[in-house]
Amino acid sequence: MQLAGKHVLHAAPPKVWATLMNKDTLARVVPGISHLEETGDHTYKSTLDIKLGPVNGSFTGNLQLDDLQEPSSFTLKGQQNSKIGNANAAIKINLLPVGTNDTEIAFEGDVKLSGMLASLGQRVMGGVSNTLSKQFFANLEKELNNTTA
Amino acid sequence: MSTNGLIGRSVKRVEDKRFTTGHGNYTDDIILPQQTYAVFVRSQYAHARIVRVDTSVARAMPGVIAIFTGADLANVNGVPCGWQVNFKNGDTMKEPKHPLLVADKARHVGDAIAIVIAESKDQATDAAEAVEVELEELPCVVDAYKAVQPGAALVHDDVPNNKSFDWALGNPLEEVKEAMDKATHVTTLEFVNQRLVPNAIEPRSYNSSYDPVSEKYTLYTSSQNPHLIRLLMCAFVLGIPEHKVRVVSPDVGGGFGSKIFHYTEEALLTWCSKQLNRPVKWTSERSESFLLDAHGRDHVTKAEMGFDEEGKIVALRVKTYANLGAYLSTFSSCIPTYLHGTLLQGLYTTPKINVDVTAVFTNTTPVDAYRGAGRPEATYLLERLIDLAALEMDVDPADLRFRNFIPPFDGVQQPGYQTQVALQYDSGNYEGVLKKGLEMVNYPEVRRAQQEAAHNGKLVGIGFSTYIEACGIAPSAVVGSLGCRAGLFEVGQVRVQPTGKVSVYTGSHSHGQGHETTFAQIVADKLGINLTDVEVVHGDSDSVAFGMGTYGSRSLAVGGSAIMKSIEKIIEKGKKIAAHKLEASADDIEFASGKFTVKGTDRSIGFGEIALTAYVPHVYPKDLEPGLDFSSFYDPANFTYPFGCHIAVVEVDKETGKVSLKRFVAVDDVGNVINPMIVEGQIHGGVVQGIGQALFEGAEYDENGQLTNGSYMDYCMPRADDLPMFETASQVTPCPHNPLGVKGAGEAGTIGSAPAIVNAVIDALWSGGHKVKDIRMPLTSERVWRAMNELIS
Repeated sequence: MQLAGKHVLHAAPPKVWATLMNKDTLARVVPGISHLEETGDHTYKSTLDIKLGPVNGSFTGNLQLDDLQEPSSFTLKGQQNSKIGNANAAIKINLLPVGTNDTEIAFEGDVKLSGMLASLGQRVMGGVSNTLSKQFFANLEKELNNTTA
Repeated sequence: MSTNGLIGRSVKRVEDKRFTTGHGNYTDDIILPQQTYAVFVRSQYAHARIVRVDTSVARAMPGVIAIFTGADLANVNGVPCGWQVNFKNGDTMKEPKHPLLVADKARHVGDAIAIVIAESKDQATDAAEAVEVELEELPCVVDAYKAVQPGAALVHDDVPNNKSFDWALGNPLEEVKEAMDKATHVTTLEFVNQRLVPNAIEPRSYNSSYDPVSEKYTLYTSSQNPHLIRLLMCAFVLGIPEHKVRVVSPDVGGGFGSKIFHYTEEALLTWCSKQLNRPVKWTSERSESFLLDAHGRDHVTKAEMGFDEEGKIVALRVKTYANLGAYLSTFSSCIPTYLHGTLLQGLYTTPKINVDVTAVFTNTTPVDAYRGAGRPEATYLLERLIDLAALEMDVDPADLRFRNFIPPFDGVQQPGYQTQVALQYDSGNYEGVLKKGLEMVNYPEVRRAQQEAAHNGKLVGIGFSTYIEACGIAPSAVVGSLGCRAGLFEVGQVRVQPTGKVSVYTGSHSHGQGHETTFAQIVADKLGINLTDVEVVHGDSDSVAFGMGTYGSRSLAVGGSAIMKSIEKIIEKGKKIAAHKLEASADDIEFASGKFTVKGTDRSIGFGEIALTAYVPHVYPKDLEPGLDFSSFYDPANFTYPFGCHIAVVEVDKETGKVSLKRFVAVDDVGNVINPMIVEGQIHGGVVQGIGQALFEGAEYDENGQLTNGSYMDYCMPRADDLPMFETASQVTPCPHNPLGVKGAGEAGTIGSAPAIVNAVIDALWSGGHKVKDIRMPLTSERVWRAMNELIS
């Protein structure tokens, strides 16, 4: 399944970068994280609890931030397993400065689904991924506002 | 002799009282004392090595009774394939083990890795989620053609090129090529007959128990053929004594072929029931049903049809890659071969035919018979080719068929028709059904309306399909010589009770076809008694002597004929009893309207009194056994060959590509008809399934072997508002070789309908100048729109 989207954040790229590179803030912005444990440099063991319509399950696996090009881009890699199916993702994230104090965050990548997640098809999973990415941007926005304050 | 007119009458179905009032009794309704429930842990990958299965946490969970994995079943056989097909060079087909649980690697999404058995289904579900499975995903193959190319991943490590077998039938290829070279026009078509999900309304369900005292097993199964399941499970899988196994198929909510096969779960539950000394039940979830019920079709084909200057077909050449999925299902090997290649004569006098089939393993759900089974694929191939040829040669498609039809023959005065592809048709009047269809649709008027529509910028099309099928499956000696590992006879027992009421035991199984009505009509008609005095019993191996079950439109032609044989024996014996009582010779007794009469006199005895005498034999022939109860095995002399003509009229929206089915005309010749209402119902249901394939349905796998439309959100089934009122009619050409003259009607609708729809859409597109040869089914708006627009640009 192909994923793509973008969103403008009211913060400059270095600040967005710092928020995403920090384990504690990352745990707050990625939707559904109930456990995040650093196992290496920008490499984590994670548990995500996701309840969205038919997608209702606990995902365990790895998250990794790779190809780090501070402060402009990185790749989010993840292998997440659950009883309702596995997801294997590689998503390129670009941070583009807009004006003097804004950032356009854009993502693009591919998620390989298996099991029931795959059988639900694009129609359902497309909606699920849209909702998750909206949550991600909202959480990130909130996190950036909090640190400003 | 017809005596009370029950044969041929649209009697209301006796089974519908329980079905429409919620009193059906399905396998999942059966709850046994000490019942346990099973849930499976299944592979999420299409192809993966099993690295580790850890059941320790799950075993300790509440209610869990046992968990078994592939390692526990290392010494248990897999489920067998029932039909051996040989390679062209004579080698036996590749038939890798189809294990009850996989131990080494999973070969399709849904392959079972472990079974969890608990006190309740919820507990089993929770524990199954706690089974830890580590899988190493492997490269996979999905498409049949790609799977045989060099370098493709191997589904079974010991099956080179993923080829189960290759196979050919018909005239030598050189002769076909030579004839094709002389053709003045050759129509070539490369197409896909897409994979379908069977979608029976009742999901598969099994409940197996073992009694340690009697050492007897009982398996309740949602099967179309309980005796066959017993035979396969006892003799080939578990090696348990057949007389200690009772298999019951109670009410079954539709099968369409998908419940013919012996599934791994049936045997596994039976095995588990003995390990635990408790009954074990499993009912498929709908999502499992999408992934595990054997799929249908899935052929990739290239076909060429050559014509001479008069439009006579001179040669047909076919190459098909048939996707069998990950394992050989029970009858999977005979579908693309003996139920497909043998039908490529169609209704035409084609003198040279060669068909070549490569049967391929892929990392997908096993593929087997689905309503029509091979014959829809053959019909689609022929009927698409001939309609396309008519467009290419600018001749009328109906006229092109008339030029090529085999002339009428009744199989009695005129002999049967020997085809180039092994079969001998029994009787036929092929031009008759097309003539009737043309009248019904008012062909000149449709063509006039099409021209007018084209003038107004609209796309209207008419498509034909004149089909034949081989049904009444099947003469045992013939199918045996072709590799079938079973006989395909049927058993019918007629037990007249002392009071003259009749119990009929049939090896045919009813799962929607209405046997309890149709078979009772035959018996009541022939014995001259009331319909309510006949009860039809089926589906229980302890009460029915034997049976090969219901598929291939065989119940009436084979099962009904077995009952007819027993009826004849009842009447024959009744005559002897009557002769003794009437002090006449048995030769002088005639039976009609429920009465045994001395010929030429008014001295007679009613059927009821003869029945009572047979059981209270006080005044009775000395050399005659008491009782009035006969069982017969009937092995058909030939297949039966129903045929017909389906015509579709469609309108295609130029802007969106949306296809609207405006009319559907079906003229079917299924031989003699016992219950016209039931036959019409079968035709309607079959036609809808064919329309489903043409316009709506199709299992879609992604390149990782994941089924991406495994739910009703994405797998589109036809609905009532997608369909016009069907216009149906029947023609009757009796079958010359069975006592009822019947041919079978279960599959006709599905076999004939899909190509008529697609042909109509192609015709509509040509009427607007879009010379499209093929659009892949299902014909979604997007595909039709793309086909129109790619040619324009």
